Amino acid sequence: MERIRLLLVDDEDDFRTTLASRLRKRDFDVTEVDSGYRALTSIRTAAIDVAVIDVRMRGMDGLETLREIRRIDTLIEVIMLTGHASVESAVEGMRLGAFDYLMKPCDINELVAKIQDAYQRKLVQEASLK
Amino acid sequence: MNFLKNWHVRRSPSARDSLGDLFRFKYSAFRMLLDSNTQLLKVIADMEEKLCGRQVFGISYVRTQAGRAIFHALRMVKNLDDLSNHRYPRLFEALEKIDRKIQEEMGPRKESPPAELILTYDEITKEMADWVGGKNANLGEIHGRLRLPVPEGFAITTRGFTRFLSHNGLFEKITTKKMEIDPCSPETIAESSREIQQLITSAEVPSDLDTAIRSAYDRIRQRMHRTEKAEDLPRISLRSSATGEDAELSSAGQYLSVLNVTPDQLISTYKRVVASLYTAPAVAYRLNKGIRDEDIAMSVACLAMVESVASGVIYTHHPFDFLDDNIMITAVWGLGPYAVEGRITPDSYTVDRRSLNAIVRTVISHKPVQLVNLPEGGLQELSVKPEMQDTACLSPQQIGTLAGYALALETHYKHAQDIEWALDREGRLLILQSRPLHVQSPETDIGSIPAVSGYPLLIKEGAVAYPGIGCGPAFQVHSEEDLKNFPEGAVLVAKHSSPMLVMAMKKARAILTDVGSVAGHMASLAREFAVPAILDTRIATATIPTGMEITVDSFSGIVYQGTVPELLSLQKTAESPMKETPVYEVLRKVADFIAPLTFTDPKASNFAPEFCQTLHDIGRLVHELSYTEMFQIGDSASGNESFAVKLKAAIPLDLCIIDLGGGIAPGKEKLKSIKMEDISSAPFRALLRGLTHEGFRSSQPRPINLSGFVSVVMEQVSGHPQTVDRFGERSFAVVSDNYLNFSSRVGYHYSALDSYCGPTIDMNYISFSFKGGAADSVRRNRRVRAIALVLKELDFAVDVQGDLVSARLQKYECDLIMERLDLVGRLLLYTRQMDMLMQDEGYVRAMAKNFLSGNYSLDRNG
Repeated sequence: MERIRLLLVDDEDDFRTTLASRLRKRDFDVTEVDSGYRALTSIRTAAIDVAVIDVRMRGMDGLETLREIRRIDTLIEVIMLTGHASVESAVEGMRLGAFDYLMKPCDINELVAKIQDAYQRKLVQEASLK
Repeated sequence: MNFLKNWHVRRSPSARDSLGDLFRFKYSAFRMLLDSNTQLLKVIADMEEKLCGRQVFGISYVRTQAGRAIFHALRMVKNLDDLSNHRYPRLFEALEKIDRKIQEEMGPRKESPPAELILTYDEITKEMADWVGGKNANLGEIHGRLRLPVPEGFAITTRGFTRFLSHNGLFEKITTKKMEIDPCSPETIAESSREIQQLITSAEVPSDLDTAIRSAYDRIRQRMHRTEKAEDLPRISLRSSATGEDAELSSAGQYLSVLNVTPDQLISTYKRVVASLYTAPAVAYRLNKGIRDEDIAMSVACLAMVESVASGVIYTHHPFDFLDDNIMITAVWGLGPYAVEGRITPDSYTVDRRSLNAIVRTVISHKPVQLVNLPEGGLQELSVKPEMQDTACLSPQQIGTLAGYALALETHYKHAQDIEWALDREGRLLILQSRPLHVQSPETDIGSIPAVSGYPLLIKEGAVAYPGIGCGPAFQVHSEEDLKNFPEGAVLVAKHSSPMLVMAMKKARAILTDVGSVAGHMASLAREFAVPAILDTRIATATIPTGMEITVDSFSGIVYQGTVPELLSLQKTAESPMKETPVYEVLRKVADFIAPLTFTDPKASNFAPEFCQTLHDIGRLVHELSYTEMFQIGDSASGNESFAVKLKAAIPLDLCIIDLGGGIAPGKEKLKSIKMEDISSAPFRALLRGLTHEGFRSSQPRPINLSGFVSVVMEQVSGHPQTVDRFGERSFAVVSDNYLNFSSRVGYHYSALDSYCGPTIDMNYISFSFKGGAADSVRRNRRVRAIALVLKELDFAVDVQGDLVSARLQKYECDLIMERLDLVGRLLLYTRQMDMLMQDEGYVRAMAKNFLSGNYSLDRNG
């Protein structure tokens, strides 16, 4: 299988860098950024398969980021990651086409499985557009 | 919000796309749906566990889980929409309706906080915990509703707190300071919390709040008939009474309480108590628990300081001996802190709750010192007069009075209580605080009940769905008929957990199943009905026959033969520490729209979107409908062989395979035809094992019965449209690594099979149906009934209508699913042309018996 190109967006530096290094060990091609704005730049400039985005961030929050990502690229699968879920954010995330919605801190194996599922979903979507 | 609008629309494959793409799209939707079903059930199971009240949780837990439940229910509905080509729009409406109700319970607090900065205990009830914190709310309740004596006092409300912080722009300043915190660095937490506390203690209390506090104090003074002379002015104890999820920290003594405060220190002490909301442990706790600062507030209890002659604590139940329900009272001379801080050993009195004058045990300890109020404010340790040091602090009469108060509190709160009391100079006994006592019951430590000797152990392990003790005669349930006849007070024993068992739950003392998941529907129902249940015992039906007297200990996952009197006393389980708390109440209300399953019978007429009352109902319905949708996927394959791979194998089928991914070994997907060993789909391999079983390799022709043959000819002549259509078509297998959809037309019958088998038990299933045949309808019906008998024995849930049998097996481990697929493969071969033989009823049982005994000949006499 090709290496999955992953974008990790979280303004909690410790959490993000630890998670990124663990995902790299599992052979993901990880780009990490600390804000929604930087996530958008990454998506404009590099090919990304799956984005893992923290819902609660300073400045542009996770949902706004997802909304903006959808304007740029409708095929990227997005997994929302949050320590503080709410019904509103769950529904909004789903409406914006989030692939899944995981609680922080999450089990690394569960996250890896979700990323792989999301990637498969993206392949299916791409195939249907060909 | 409107779920039907503004979706991020995924493009579903259109007619122009290949069927392969369509299958992949549908399969992907189906997998997401199954995944969300599993997640939703996990959320429900977790919520139900919390509703048992034994685990502590905060409001953020409720928000998070409600959010996840909605997300996954919506994800299921959305994927069914993709799968079914938008066939169920009313599901969105049903979900939206439920979502609205959850939001109403969950969303921003409906009640606006009171305008009052101060409330007296005459005005406070326990329902006001959000405005005055748990401690204040309880004092109001004890004073107003229970009419028990409490000190004079008032509460500074959360409105007062908000007024104080916003007056000084502290919300923003605190947020800024908190941004400097690195959650992994205790130093940054300590530094920031110190700075935040400094901000609070140095801020100015706005004049309206200042005036309100001073006026409230003055009213107390007047009610106590005290003059304004300095020495006569009542002292105050200021106690933290935080709201929301921090209530448990409040009761754990994390927040500040200051005793014997003089009126001139009232305002500065108030600020110190408020600032204690930001001690380093409290900040770290909230960070770890994901609790938002927006959700917490500090209310403060201001109580007239009691000049305690003696004081102490009451437990209405032994705190760690679950079986000891005597009331325990401790007492010291002077102020209360010495009763709990371990500075001296208090007297202890044990009272029988059934006869409050019966003091079971008295231990008078040596009490050389006491804590007393200082005239200028603050506290001081003094020696106790020598003649008092070894004297009981309480008279038998006072002990009886306190025990009576304690029992009244426990009865009112329906929970064991931890109570602080004080005896004032006038001889009045006052209640200073009452909170739930966390009794270390066996439920908190499952497995802690040692096995009772002297009784045969029937079951030693299993998955506990609901802890408890249940005793009675066993009653095995294998059919709806058994459920209807289920006797009151029996222990239900079944092979498999099924929501249908709900029919007997009110009568059942306990439930045991061979197989089942604690995240399943039935486990939810067991928790809802509070029926002790052990699932996945593997051996319950094999070990425990109907009528055997048994005792189920689902604290430990053990079943004994016979009645075990030692355990029966535990049948009455303790109430929980969380119950009655505001957070618990929110969860209860929200869970009402999430957890209960009102749909138990998919055949019922109300198994439809408009009757969904909960997210569990929606999940159940969508789950069921998704099988129907996937089941039909094989139909679309027919007539589209061009992209399929042919299977070369010794089976009497013309079989084409469509791989959705991982179903065919790498490198072989592009071949025109493949061999059995090229199949990597686990369920398909299992089915093929059955289809190529050696028992069917003999070249002996199938026996033919003459009248049966005539029946076939007659059916051909009459041109039964269904069978004619089906005849001679190819069989299809749509596969992935863990998935199989198989549709086959052999002779005149049609069979379809859909199966998933992977590592998650909850996602695994086999759906199977078999219809038609060449013989007349009576014989066809006999054949499907024979198939039904076999499938029932193999633990399928089975339904027969005319010449159609539909069967479902779900939530078993992958190995078992594969074993059953192998048997279904054999059954498909075994029942070929069997309809022609079924000339009388006797064949129905005989054919089933042959198959089950491994005899695959169609000879009735074996």
